[in-house]
Amino acid sequence: MPDLGNNILVSNTYETFTGLFGTFSTLAIIVGAVVLGLMTYLILRYRDKGTSTQEPEDAPTLGKLPAERGKVKTIAVSLTLSTTILVFLVFGTFGALDNILTPPKDAIDIKVTAFQWGWKFAYPNGYEETKELRVPVGKAVRLIVVSEDVFHNFGIYDYKIKIDAIKGRTNHIWFEAKQPGEFTIQCYELCGIGHAFMKAKLVAMEPGAFNAWYSTSGA
Amino acid sequence: MVQETEKPSVPPAWSIKRWLFTTNHKDVGILYLLTSVFFFVAAGWLALLVRTQLGAPDNAFLNSSAYNQAVTVHGLLMVLWFLSPFAIGFANYIVPLQIGARDLAFPRLNALSYWLYFFSGILMLMSFFTGSAPDGGWTLYSPLSSQRYTPFLGLNVAAAGIIMMIASITVGTVNFIVTIVRMRAPGLKYKHLPMFTWAMLITIGMMLYAFPSLLAGTLILFADRALGTLYFSAPEGGAILWDHLFWFFGHPEVYIVLFPAIGVVGDILPTFTRRPLYGKKYIVLSLVAAAIISFVVWGHHMFITGINPTVMKLFNITTVAVSLPFDVITIAMIETLVRAKIRLKAPVLFAIGSIALFVIGGITGVFLASVALDFQLRGTYWVVSHFHYVMVGGSAMALIGGLYYWFPKITGRMYNEKLAKTHFLLSFIGFNVLYFPMYLLLDMPRRIVTYTASTGWGQMNLLATAGAWIFGLSQLLMFYNLFVSMKKGMPAGPNPWQASTLEWATSSPPPFHNFDTIPVISEGVVHLTNGAGHSAALGAKAETEHVHETHTSTWPIIISAAAFFTLLGLLMGFPVLQLAVAFGVIAVYGYGRERFTVRHEENAESWPYQGVENVKLGVWIFLASEVIFFSALLGAYIFVRVNSATWPAAGQILSIQHGAVNTFILLTSSFTAVLALVSAKAGSRKYTMLSLLTTLVLGLAFMLNKASEWKELIEHGFTFNSGLPASSYFITTGAHGVHVAAGLATIVYLIIRAAEGRYTKGDSGTIEHFGLYWHFVDIVWVFLFPLFYLL
Ligand code: HEM
Ligand SMILES: [Cu+2]
Ligand SMILES: [Cu+2]
Repeated sequence: MPDLGNNILVSNTYETFTGLFGTFSTLAIIVGAVVLGLMTYLILRYRDKGTSTQEPEDAPTLGKLPAERGKVKTIAVSLTLSTTILVFLVFGTFGALDNILTPPKDAIDIKVTAFQWGWKFAYPNGYEETKELRVPVGKAVRLIVVSEDVFHNFGIYDYKIKIDAIKGRTNHIWFEAKQPGEFTIQCYELCGIGHAFMKAKLVAMEPGAFNAWYSTSGA
Repeated sequence: MVQETEKPSVPPAWSIKRWLFTTNHKDVGILYLLTSVFFFVAAGWLALLVRTQLGAPDNAFLNSSAYNQAVTVHGLLMVLWFLSPFAIGFANYIVPLQIGARDLAFPRLNALSYWLYFFSGILMLMSFFTGSAPDGGWTLYSPLSSQRYTPFLGLNVAAAGIIMMIASITVGTVNFIVTIVRMRAPGLKYKHLPMFTWAMLITIGMMLYAFPSLLAGTLILFADRALGTLYFSAPEGGAILWDHLFWFFGHPEVYIVLFPAIGVVGDILPTFTRRPLYGKKYIVLSLVAAAIISFVVWGHHMFITGINPTVMKLFNITTVAVSLPFDVITIAMIETLVRAKIRLKAPVLFAIGSIALFVIGGITGVFLASVALDFQLRGTYWVVSHFHYVMVGGSAMALIGGLYYWFPKITGRMYNEKLAKTHFLLSFIGFNVLYFPMYLLLDMPRRIVTYTASTGWGQMNLLATAGAWIFGLSQLLMFYNLFVSMKKGMPAGPNPWQASTLEWATSSPPPFHNFDTIPVISEGVVHLTNGAGHSAALGAKAETEHVHETHTSTWPIIISAAAFFTLLGLLMGFPVLQLAVAFGVIAVYGYGRERFTVRHEENAESWPYQGVENVKLGVWIFLASEVIFFSALLGAYIFVRVNSATWPAAGQILSIQHGAVNTFILLTSSFTAVLALVSAKAGSRKYTMLSLLTTLVLGLAFMLNKASEWKELIEHGFTFNSGLPASSYFITTGAHGVHVAAGLATIVYLIIRAAEGRYTKGDSGTIEHFGLYWHFVDIVWVFLFPLFYLL
């Protein structure tokens, strides 16, 4: 499995992503194995072993147009199968999407401003800072993401969530931290020479500790 | 039956002159192949630098700037200067042979298209020496690519290179469509076309509609950077507008680089499995379906830019839908192996290998089609792995297979099979060691110069870097093999693979005219007489007429050089620009006057092109691409206008009077252009010249009126950089004005020729073609006028 963190549910978004990714991966591995397996089998089975010089009847011959070959049925069957799988995946996707796009009503709004090369976080009480984004565990946080200059992308490694930061637009994402801890925020859209270093820290805090910090910060 | 023994009058193969001036499709094909391989090596070298940098955490082998340039230019070169032109090289060499033609429809245009490509590549490389090569990613996202954030001349030079590249492609598309539609051997129906020719026809069709959007985008970018217009730096346009223009081109583009490879695999498979391609009909239908759908999926590159959720879902569905045709294609290719007798030679190993890698790339692409998963996967190494599996695995590997496959045809000699197999093995293994680990790096952002050890990404990156070197070095085996075999390989004979398509029905390498007599197809049998000694089953069409064909022209390279200096001149100003333009005018004039005769076998005329001659069809095809170009420009204008909170009311800045007068002038000039044609047909030199002259005067009046309007506007502070209303107005009417100017230059040429007695003796075609163009330019104005002046 790809690096899905340490398999601790660190946030609701992590949960949404890994669930859906798991479904996709399972099907992908099955389909991939069947197709590649079939291919390998056919190659081994039908390779020219040099035991006879007999050619298939419809072998390509110079000066003759090739014979028509192929049944609609085979094509239709494989098409139906893959359509079924894809429709199933699309429904799964749309379910998860609604979740990603609709924050709970009582979410805390934090404004995130991307700039070359860093992040600014502004809390409802007016407190601003650039190094860390502190959030309480167990409470939904809605980020309002904008950019001061070029195209950036706000992403959090282990939360499996990201959103573009574009000048002139206001984008939103939301998440709910499930475990206290520190996570890395990084830019995911090339934004100049500082791009690789455009990082910040996400600190998920126990609600008590968060409230204590929040009431003494800013204002 | 007349055996043609006349030696074509071309310089011998060892002379430089031959390669600079040739117009023969096989020569041009070889030039394309060599040049594109050069870019493959250059871009590959950059990739190795990038991979080496990423091999260990906190590495400082490259700094940020060097890294970003290397990544960006790697991507641009691989996609635009290697994959497509490599395929076009094969198409040049093979397509005329496969359809039984002697050359492309417009051999000189073909040479022009090559030289434009050649010089465009030089511009691209020059960007390294003019401050900095592009460093914002091959997608050139704005506003990072604006003057403010990328203040280097290098990006302007590169943008000029891209513009020139697109010119080359447009010329090429016109040529190939006309050739495939009209120059097929008698009896060779569409359904008989070999898979490669089919795939190229569809590819070229996509190119025709995709590249104009990139052209519009790049021209605006160029204007923004060089003239100070504001399209992409204003928040109302900016990032999202570029996204639309780029990806409307970009998604079809990934199929443009893929389809030729599917064509190659489709030709290799039957040859080496000794069975016909399974469900060829369905493969072709699938390609057509995918080509069409590819124009309505671009939004999947913008899933998380904050677009409307319903739009997201629609794009998700179209993207999933476009994977279905590929499912059909893959299944059909795999079914081909059933009850086959597979001769596991290098070409088929590459072909089958490419199918396998394409399957993996395709499946992981379905993940990216899922908008919910894209909220995580966007911008990570999952994406990098996915598109390399498709573009290197699916596309480049198959094309390399094609290189082994057609090498004996092109050189007349066999390559060393053992070395080729080793090459396959090493590159297949190297490839997977290189890219598979990247799927596991689905948190790692792409395009980062380095990462810290604490991320834990070090191991997989080290593996990938090792794979990169294996993959990269294994290519040397191929170069060595082909280079040595070119001289020392066993003679191949006309058909070493026992293939069935027409390119194998002539000697290796084929004679200058491909076939001594044109093949004729009837009732499933190909009748031919050729240098390879296959005798005709039936009498083939005898060649009685003896036309002295031309096979060289000095003008294509000169025109391309002039275009190169003109673009540079736009950046350097006086006197480079003026000299280059003057030089260009002379070159185009020389091209127009040159006596260049080709023998036209218009064999396969069919509805709806009956009676339409080659040039006219070409003009129509060209205008189709122009429609997309102006639609993209107008789309951009409408986009910024809808997004702007305020916009000057009609009549407030732009004078309706000026616009109305110009509309009137242009419409009248369309009328006089028709008169010119009528008079030419009636054989009246006097009235032909008079009508042309009137058209010229009207066109000049339009330009003068326009110039005075521009002058007034600029004097009143409505300048290029005064805001979006001005930027959009100047760019759009400017692009239209350039078209008018090109038309006027053509009229001058027509008048000179008419004075010499041309066009009135049943040869009025050129005036008709000009008329088509001129009416088109007028119609564009009919759209511009209300959109800019009245609304
Ligand atoms: C036909 C061959 C290839 C094509 C069409 C291709 C295409 C591309 C493109 C379009 C990009 C994106 C550039 C960007 O982010 O602006 C890219 C990135 C990259 N390619 Fe290739 N490539 C090819 C071969 C290779 C090879 C052979 C290697 C390794 C030796 C390689 C290694 C890379 C790396 C390391 C990146 C940077 C990824 C990132 O930082 O986002 N590519 N390639
Ligand atoms: Cu960034
Ligand atoms: Cu796409």
